[in-house]
Amino acid sequence: MILPISEFSSKNLTFGDNKKDENNVDYTKDTLLKNNFSTRTRIGLDKFTKAFTVYPARGLKGSINSNFYEFLTMGTVPYVIGSVMLMSIFNSANKHFSAFAQSKASKLGNKMAMGVILYALFKEISKSFTNIPVRLATGIDTELPYAKVNYLLQENPDSTSDLTSIEYHKVGESVDFPRWDQLYGDPKKGEAANFRYDKIAKKNGLGDNLNDSDQEVKPIYKEVLVKSKLAKSFSSFMWAATGVALAFQKPWENYFRVATLKFWNGKEFLHSLRVLGESFVESAKELYKGSPESFSKLERHSGKIMIGSALLITVLGVLNTLHITHKPQKNNADKIMDRNKESVVD
Amino acid sequence: MRTTNLIQSYVNGNPVTQQYNADKAVKDFDIHKELNNRTFIKPLPSNGKLVRNSLFDIPSEIRKDWIYDFKSFKHALKGEANDHELGRLNDVGMKLGGLAIAAYLFTKKQTPMTKLFEFVGLGTFFAAMDLWPKLFIQLPAYLVHGVNVRQEYEDSFGRKKMFYQDHQFIPWDLYSEQEINNIGDSLNVPKNIPNRREFIQEKMRKIALQNNTLWMLTAGFATPLMSALMCNALEGPAAKMLNKFKSQKADALMSDFSSEIKKYSFEKQQKQFEDLLKANAGKPITPELYEAIKSQMTNGLDYMVADALKKDLAIKIPAGNSFKLSQESVDSIQGALKAALSSVQMSDEEFAKIMPDGDAISNALSNKNLLNGDYSDFSEHSKVIQSLLEEKIEQFIQANPDSKLGKKLKFALQQFIHSGEVGVDSSMFKMFKQVPSTVLTPELIESLKEVSSAFNVLKSEQIVLDKYSHMKAALAPETSLADSWNEITEKIFKQMNFTPEEIKKGRVDVEVAGEVFRNKIESIVADKTAYENLIEVVEKCLSELHGKMAAIDMTQDASNNLYKSHVISSFDGAADVLRRLGFNYSVDSLVGFGDNAATSAKALMLEFIEERKLGVKSSFYRLLNTLDVFYRIGHAQGIDGALTPQMLREVKEECAELAKTIMLGAHSSDYAVKFWQLRNPSPHQGDYSQIEVKDGKVVNRYFGTHQSGELVEFANDRNYFEAVMKLMNDGDIHPATRAKIKDSAFLSDFEHYRRQVLEVLGCDEYFVKPNHKVDGKTVWSTSLERFLLTGSAGDEMAYKYFNQTFNSKKWFSMFGKLGAGLVGVTLLAQFFFGRMKKPEAKSKEVK
Repeated sequence: MILPISEFSSKNLTFGDNKKDENNVDYTKDTLLKNNFSTRTRIGLDKFTKAFTVYPARGLKGSINSNFYEFLTMGTVPYVIGSVMLMSIFNSANKHFSAFAQSKASKLGNKMAMGVILYALFKEISKSFTNIPVRLATGIDTELPYAKVNYLLQENPDSTSDLTSIEYHKVGESVDFPRWDQLYGDPKKGEAANFRYDKIAKKNGLGDNLNDSDQEVKPIYKEVLVKSKLAKSFSSFMWAATGVALAFQKPWENYFRVATLKFWNGKEFLHSLRVLGESFVESAKELYKGSPESFSKLERHSGKIMIGSALLITVLGVLNTLHITHKPQKNNADKIMDRNKESVVD
Repeated sequence: MRTTNLIQSYVNGNPVTQQYNADKAVKDFDIHKELNNRTFIKPLPSNGKLVRNSLFDIPSEIRKDWIYDFKSFKHALKGEANDHELGRLNDVGMKLGGLAIAAYLFTKKQTPMTKLFEFVGLGTFFAAMDLWPKLFIQLPAYLVHGVNVRQEYEDSFGRKKMFYQDHQFIPWDLYSEQEINNIGDSLNVPKNIPNRREFIQEKMRKIALQNNTLWMLTAGFATPLMSALMCNALEGPAAKMLNKFKSQKADALMSDFSSEIKKYSFEKQQKQFEDLLKANAGKPITPELYEAIKSQMTNGLDYMVADALKKDLAIKIPAGNSFKLSQESVDSIQGALKAALSSVQMSDEEFAKIMPDGDAISNALSNKNLLNGDYSDFSEHSKVIQSLLEEKIEQFIQANPDSKLGKKLKFALQQFIHSGEVGVDSSMFKMFKQVPSTVLTPELIESLKEVSSAFNVLKSEQIVLDKYSHMKAALAPETSLADSWNEITEKIFKQMNFTPEEIKKGRVDVEVAGEVFRNKIESIVADKTAYENLIEVVEKCLSELHGKMAAIDMTQDASNNLYKSHVISSFDGAADVLRRLGFNYSVDSLVGFGDNAATSAKALMLEFIEERKLGVKSSFYRLLNTLDVFYRIGHAQGIDGALTPQMLREVKEECAELAKTIMLGAHSSDYAVKFWQLRNPSPHQGDYSQIEVKDGKVVNRYFGTHQSGELVEFANDRNYFEAVMKLMNDGDIHPATRAKIKDSAFLSDFEHYRRQVLEVLGCDEYFVKPNHKVDGKTVWSTSLERFLLTGSAGDEMAYKYFNQTFNSKKWFSMFGKLGAGLVGVTLLAQFFFGRMKKPEAKSKEVK
């Protein structure tokens, strides 16, 4: 029987072993995942596909199970379509122009398209400029993912579909309500309850063998989450802007002349890749040094200012994140209460 | 330990204190009644509220949002921000990133318009992001369903959120019963159904969810598209605004000239120069000092003026002409001699024998009266020293007859005294020329200071004047003249009403564009009303242009032209100072002398604008003249003066054809060479009738009937070129044209232009057919003058117009259709949203 789309469980549309945990079993409860390239790719593909298929279908139907997660995930749709649209606006009509106008319009159009690509690329890559130093210095992975098992409501009394769906969230997605529970160890697997908190506590100089490392770590964890989010909010867009600035350099025109995606034409494709690399390097140099044709001081140095600003904002953001102020004071209890003194509580 | 809570305090406490504790307690609140009702224990009432802002609240809302964002930033810096605050900061980051892109691209763009549009593009993009859901989702949904799908609310903490953000948490309690019921009525929900509120809420939720999804699906298409369309729509008004702003800014440069030049002060350079003079006051002017003075004084001057100033300086400071011979320079000869003889291997004792004693050189020179004076020639000095040294060497050879050093010493001596290179001083001459006799006297210092100051003031003035002339008339897309050009061509060609097919055809090539343009003009001249309407538009445009150009009309008297008067006063002011101080070459270079005045720096300042203006004016006058020539030919009126009764009909037809061709496509180079044409070498004899016309075109009886494969010119037909030139530019313009421009300020200028073309281009000295000139006269002109008079060819103007129009229309047709389709689908979708099975009405029995 073909089910209507509203009753189509998103669990049926998955990539690889998405709906299974590390032991290759279905997720029966919220499960912490490893933050590695494979998981990130799986999650990315899963969310991307659903953003264009299941979630819009459910949303347009007005499903009672459509939630904020799905709405946010659908945010990818305007990003992708908008990017293609932007490229198209500056390029699609060009082929109808006369040769001269076409060549002029295409130069701008190609740079605009490259700008769209580099915007997205730099925005995503630049998040690591904050994530990696923060993780190395504090032991806190602000992007740690977990799979959430979502229990759905029955759309209608006759519905026979699976009433669960899997959502991919991050432990620190909400700074108001981080999923602390996901960070506790699983005794069934022989893990100590606080083993993750212990590691973070040790890394941040709170010491070993703490009785309640989770309570000690949580304020730090939360502070790092907030500050790193702030750092990423500003630095990632500045790097994205730097990507656009890079795309507008003249050396890219060398690449546009030979660019091809026809990978089956091995020689041409390899040549195109080589020129891509060269153009990238030359464009980066020109962005920094300024165009040789530039005649104003501002134009010559604007690239340096751009790169410098992005760099400065990133460094300041990371330093602010690493400057942890919510560390619990050592021997706190002794300062507050004299253990030798007798006291009566009414 | 006993604890109390709010409920217990109500139950056990004194009613008065209960009232005190509850800030917002209802006045007649009866706790016992509430408890009996079992409805008491429920969440505290929400302090949230729906946001109901009008347009007038936008400024205060923006202010509130800014304050909120600022506080959020402070909280986030300390690591204390919440999710909502971080979400808002992400948006701030996105906008800052956008601003950074616009700011960077701003620095890369060259013209004010393209620079401005970096920010306009950014603004419209964010505006489109905001406007699309408001105009095409929220508004239609409200009109169709009566539900505000983008309702905002403020939660208990004052945080603004979308009401339908999370469909599993909608704060329905913020809507009153009445409001929900009203919305239910708009949604046509039956009145007497069970759980009416829940049903209405579900319907509202469904509509909002469907619309939010629609928003996500359409925003990607809509935002860039809307932004691009908004940019296109804003281009015209922005250009107008910018043109006005630029023009005002340029005019302000002239009206506030004295304060503007202060912005480009050269006081620092003047101070540096004065310091240099002060430090060297009273000292001999060495070549190094002379170079320093020259380079500082000519720094920043144009090549022509700098060259003249160098000539003046060479006269005023004759450094290098004469030198003083001091004891030091005589002493240094000994040192130099020792160095020169170092190639000869000899002991110190032997060297001492050769070297003249301490004062021997001084005494020898003094005896010949060659020591105390200014000398420009040192040949006598050279002889004295040579004989002195030779005498010593001879004595040395005689004392040491076996020594082989004699020849070597003589050779080294020759090298010391004589230079092996023409024009280069020998080592000894260099020693003599160490102390120039010209000294930096106080008078010279004062004079140089004054000259430098005059040039520095002129440099400041010239910067402002150059800035003005650039903004008004430079060959650049951002100038007032270029703006006028674009505006006028757009208006005139628009009035000619080219069809999309004509535009598509004409954009291919200049030749084809010329053909399309010609056919259009012929069709317009065939219809008197259309022609008059077109001339009216042309008249309006040219009158406007004439008005705008008045400010840069260099033929006017200086009293009516600020730029001209500032140029004159600046250059004349500097020239007066220089003339008084005798810097005559510089004076000539600045203001000219006699016949050379036209090549002076001052004349160039005026000429530059005049030439640019003439080029633009000629182009539009040519266009007007083209229309008139086509009209006269098209109606066979006002052509008898050129196409005389003595001319064969076939030649007349050829003549009319060439006139049209020249008007539409000739360049100045075409006037210089022969106008080759498809002509018949043996025209039909006997027919001297006037040309016939129909529908604005010539009905050729002979032209084109002769089999001719190539273009020709007849050297013996000496009246042909004259007839063509006169047909185009001589005699009166047609009354239909005159009627429309008779009151225009540019009429006399236009008539002058026609005369100029006839004389300058028609009688050019270098025309390759010397016997074919108009009225046999010869007129001298430069190639630039002829180029400027010819102006832009009509077919090229049309070609550019066709291309630009085609490109923008093509773009519009592609993306306009997509946009229209998107809007259509988005609006239509509303009629499919919110569909729910209506519950059955309550039956009376149940009641």
